[in-house]
Amino acid sequence: MAALIRVAAVALVLLPAIAAAEPRPTFIAQAGRVVAAALPAAVLAEKDVERQLRSGLTATFVLVARQRDSDAKGAARIEIRFDLWDEVWIVRRIEFDGREDRQRIATRELLEKWWSAPLRLFAAAADRVALNVTLTVLPFSAAEGEDARQWISKSGGVAQTEGGSPLVAALIGTTLSAKPIRSYRWQTELVFR
Amino acid sequence: MIRAQSIAAFLLAVIGPTLLFWMVIHQVSGLWLDVALRPEVRQALQQSMEDQKRLRSMDAAHRDAYRKRFETTGTLLHRLDVIRMNRAQMLQRFEITVVAIFALVAIVVAASVTMRARRARALEQKQYLDRVSVLQENARRHAHETKGPLTAARLELERAGDALRGGATDDVANALQSVADEIDRLSRLTRNQASFAAIGRPVLREVSLRTAVEEFCATFADAWPNVTLRCSGGDATVCADRDMLRQVLVNLCTNSALAMEGERASRPPTGGGQDARSPHGTITFAISKRAIDVTDTGGGIAESLRARVFDPYVTTRRTGEGMGLGLAISRKIMLDHGGDLQLASTSNVGTTFRVLFGDKECS
Repeated sequence: MAALIRVAAVALVLLPAIAAAEPRPTFIAQAGRVVAAALPAAVLAEKDVERQLRSGLTATFVLVARQRDSDAKGAARIEIRFDLWDEVWIVRRIEFDGREDRQRIATRELLEKWWSAPLRLFAAAADRVALNVTLTVLPFSAAEGEDARQWISKSGGVAQTEGGSPLVAALIGTTLSAKPIRSYRWQTELVFR
Repeated sequence: MIRAQSIAAFLLAVIGPTLLFWMVIHQVSGLWLDVALRPEVRQALQQSMEDQKRLRSMDAAHRDAYRKRFETTGTLLHRLDVIRMNRAQMLQRFEITVVAIFALVAIVVAASVTMRARRARALEQKQYLDRVSVLQENARRHAHETKGPLTAARLELERAGDALRGGATDDVANALQSVADEIDRLSRLTRNQASFAAIGRPVLREVSLRTAVEEFCATFADAWPNVTLRCSGGDATVCADRDMLRQVLVNLCTNSALAMEGERASRPPTGGGQDARSPHGTITFAISKRAIDVTDTGGGIAESLRARVFDPYVTTRRTGEGMGLGLAISRKIMLDHGGDLQLASTSNVGTTFRVLFGDKECS
């Protein structure tokens, strides 16, 4: 019992430190009551994320902002793929209003700079807004998942039928999905002047 | 209890093989996937991609070809990575699907076997009733045809006795007595035939099996001197004809008592003129949800007789001691109840007959 209390006490002491270690974006109140987030480079440096970025698959970062006192929400997405042939970063960001930006980035430093640029993710209806923001890191894109599904489905059938073997598709194919490798949750309150 | 046992047996027949199948599938399902996902495969593909990249600087003329090969290999590598990340889910889905199909097939097979067994039992019961019905009709005619001549013969014998009264020699008197005894025996047989022919339809009323058995034990406590009657188990209420149920229990106890008495008589005495092993037999009535198990402590039923034990006119008793109709009548009665009478078990330490009640509604 005493040991349990000691462990709980240590955990209580360490909790703020652990929380402080979690990367946190800077939330910015922009003109037109738009909330933008400048994501920390530490997210890209996370071990699982870093490994995924180097795999050649498209790492997808989904940001969702939900207003705490209403159903209003906004979302933005960042896709990063390292082109293994040309050794450049092919990146794409889509903001809450559909504005899209694609680039080829040559170095990791430039990537981090691009990554940290404010990403517009929510349009507030009032001058004050409280948000719950989640960032989910998916290891591959939907297209890559679908490609693998098609491939394994075709590989399973003896006859190479169009669309692959229905049995294999039923048994395995539909289970292929991108499970988040990392997720973050933040809260913020902003006032627009 | 019987239905619960059937359901338990059914589930066991499905769950047992399914669990076994799942254990096998769980062990082997990952093998085929893990072959493709071995680290060497990944390393080889990565090495191949590195080689293509190196070749482009060494042989610039074929740069496009190297790139195409690089991309093909890269696509393959990415597909394997996607699959690796979903390995657990894929295997889980595969196992669930295959085991579900197996369980479904097992359920269908078990249900089919159960249905077939049930149909076979129903058919056997119907055939038995048809056979007994024919024999009942024969017994009825036989009893009817015999009754008249027997009555006439008895009257004629009485007249002959009256005519010879005082003037008959001992030989003639003995002969007349012998004829009278034979007529009595024939009359008994005819009565048995008549009672076999006259099994009526049961009038079903709610009956507490516990009360019925306890009353039976109290009433018939001294009916079979070599037997003690015992009642055990719980209680159940069924729809039954109380008198017919009593007749069934009497028949079963009579058979058991006679068999145990016969065994005791056939055993060599162990000293002091007493059978030291089993001077007294016991018949136990165990009540469950829709059945009474009647168990004796006799030496069991011979293997050769077990299949025919309910057939009319099958008996182990000596000629003149019984017609072998008791069990046939009893089974017929229980089948008319929508139930059955079964030989549940028999061995050299005892025999159990199960009196099963059906789910017919009370009249």
